Order: sequence, then C-alpha cells, then structure tokens
Amino acid sequence: MTAEDAARTIFNGLKTAGINLIATLPDINLAQLLSEVEADPDGIHVPLCREEEGIGICSGAYLVGKKCAVIMQNGGFFNSNNAIVTTLLQYQIPLLLLIYYAGDIGDRTFSTSGSVTEPVLRALGVRYYVMREPSDAPELIKRAQVLAEDSRRPVALLLTKEVLGHRAALKSL
Amino acid sequence: MKRFDCLRSIAGGATDALVVTSAGAMTLEWHAVRPSDGNFRVRTLGLCSSVALGMALGLPKRRVIALDGDGSLLMNLCSLPTIARMGPKNLIHIVFDNEVYEASGNKRTATAAGTDLVEMARAAGIRRAMWADSVDEFSKVVGDALSGNELCFIGAKVTTERTEVPPYPVDEVENKYRFIRHVEKTERIEIIRTNLPASYV
Repeated sequence: MTAEDAARTIFNGLKTAGINLIATLPDINLAQLLSEVEADPDGIHVPLCREEEGIGICSGAYLVGKKCAVIMQNGGFFNSNNAIVTTLLQYQIPLLLLIYYAGDIGDRTFSTSGSVTEPVLRALGVRYYVMREPSDAPELIKRAQVLAEDSRRPVALLLTKEVLGHRAALKSL
Repeated sequence: MKRFDCLRSIAGGATDALVVTSAGAMTLEWHAVRPSDGNFRVRTLGLCSSVALGMALGLPKRRVIALDGDGSLLMNLCSLPTIARMGPKNLIHIVFDNEVYEASGNKRTATAAGTDLVEMARAAGIRRAMWADSVDEFSKVVGDALSGNELCFIGAKVTTERTEVPPYPVDEVENKYRFIRHVEKTERIEIIRTNLPASYV
C-alpha cells in the first residue's frame, strides 16, 4: 500500500469511528494522513502550535458532544503529559491519541524517544496498540474508540512507518 | 481594580454562556457570583483557553467565555495563534492579570516585568483585543462582546486581593458530568449514551 492509500485507509477509519474533530501537529511521516484531514469538508480540523493545547481543545469539544482525535509525533505525546494526567485522566475524558512512533525498530533517528514511548504510556495507564498493517487500521481505530468511550480514558494508537505506508523507507535500510 | 467586582459586573449578562475557568481562587469567585452547571473548572495550568476553544468550535452557536489568568496564559501562549487561526466568533477570552502566580505563593509573572498580553493577542491575530481599565469599562466591553458576534480578547489588570467565598462544590468528575448534562439539556443533544446490556439487544 502506498503512503497515500494508507493515509486514506486510516482517515476513513477515523470517519467510520465517528471522529469529527481532529487536532494535528505535523511530522514528515504523517504528511499524507494530515493531507486527508485537511481535505475533509465535514470534520473540524485544528492545526496546533503545541500538542498539549490539543488535549485541552479536544477535552472542551468532547464536553459539548464532539468525538475527537489528536494526531502527533511521540515527541508531542511527551509534551502533552501534564494535560493527559490532570485533564484527561483526572476528569475521565476519552480521547484517541494517534502517535507517530518515531524511534521504532528500524528508525535511524529518535531512538531515545522510541525507547521510552511505550514505558511512558504504561506508566500513565494509557492502553495502546502498535499498528503495523494498514488494512487492519479501520477496525483497530473503531475498537479503540469504543474502548476510550467505555473506559472514559485516552487510548493510544502507535502509528509505525509500516501502517503509514512507508515500507520503501524501511526496505532501503 | 478587584477581580471579584469585575466578575460580579458581568455575571448577570452571562446567564446562558458556558464558562471555563482557570486554576486558582477565580474559579470559586466566579461560581459564587454565577452558580451554574455550565461552569467548568480546568486543573491543568494553561489549558483554560484551549478547553474553551474546543467548546466554542464544537458548539458554534453557543456563547463560550474563558476566564483566564496571566500565569495560565503565559504557560500556553501558543493558544493565542491557534485561537486566532480558528477564529471562533462565539468565544470571549478574558484574562485577569494580577502579575503573580496567585495560587502558587504570589511569585511575580512576566507581566510584572512588562509583558503585555493584549498586545500579544493582537500580534497573534486576534483583532478585537483590548484592556479594560475600570470595572465600568470591563462591564461595558464584556457586555458589547456578549451582544456582538466576534472573537474577542479582554485583559483586566487586577489586584491580588481575594474575596471570601465558599469552596467549589464539586470534584472534577462530577463537574464533568454536570457540565455535560447541562449542555445536553440546554442544547437538546445527547452526548453520553449508556448502551443497553447485550442480553437486551
């Protein structure tokens, strides 16, 4: 699957799951996915300056009836930790966190970020799933949204290069 | 100028508004002058304006007010360009600037050294941004904003004086549920649905 096809598959999964407000901050590996978000005439797209504000924006939107997701790099997830603890967890607010897994196996940069991503998620008690296969994405997104709503907690989906259709980049290692 | 007097001067005009408050005594003071399930207290320093932005985007026909503080806004300055970029006409962002971290031992913030939050809001792209220098002026500019239809940022320099008010009546989770039920009732929408048990389906 090309990066464009993978992005469309993931984005359609978000739409099917009922997501209608998406806050984003770019990473080069998320470019095609963010293009899908930008091109959507129906949903609300909030481009962020820093990821932590996205946690606040999505919390406010949830309180008035929106279904939200944040798309960001794991560096942005680290930036968001206080908001995740003192807003999402403390108030029991569900939110889908789509996190690009920089420093994942086979990645040449950000290996330090990669090594602490899952331990931090575990420390926060945020349930997470590592996504590798684009065709599985819609089903996983749907189930993650059900889990977020049912548990009233954030749920993280780690977006690897494979699920984003960047296999060519891995083959050239 | 005393913050409590400012809050009291706008409470009557803000009856239907959803109001998000920042950390500190302001939350209690606001709840004392306008007790409502439409009040939402934010616990993450800085996120007040972001939570209010999310509400304003989610309910574009409903008035949303952020009651922010200088320490809070300084921690999340990137909220200003994001608010300007999204430009919600139903959002009024009010900042009470007492030049200290009031809830953290009254240490001075950057505004005590000259940082001008209204100028920053304007530079971020919020065209309607102004200081209110007296309670009367504050009441007037907030009244104008409430009757208008434009994104608005209002700064008010206030003293550090607190007013004796009762404690906030609810914890975070009860605040959340009461707020959601208030929105459901007043907007006639369903936000949290409880599904039937599987055996009924």
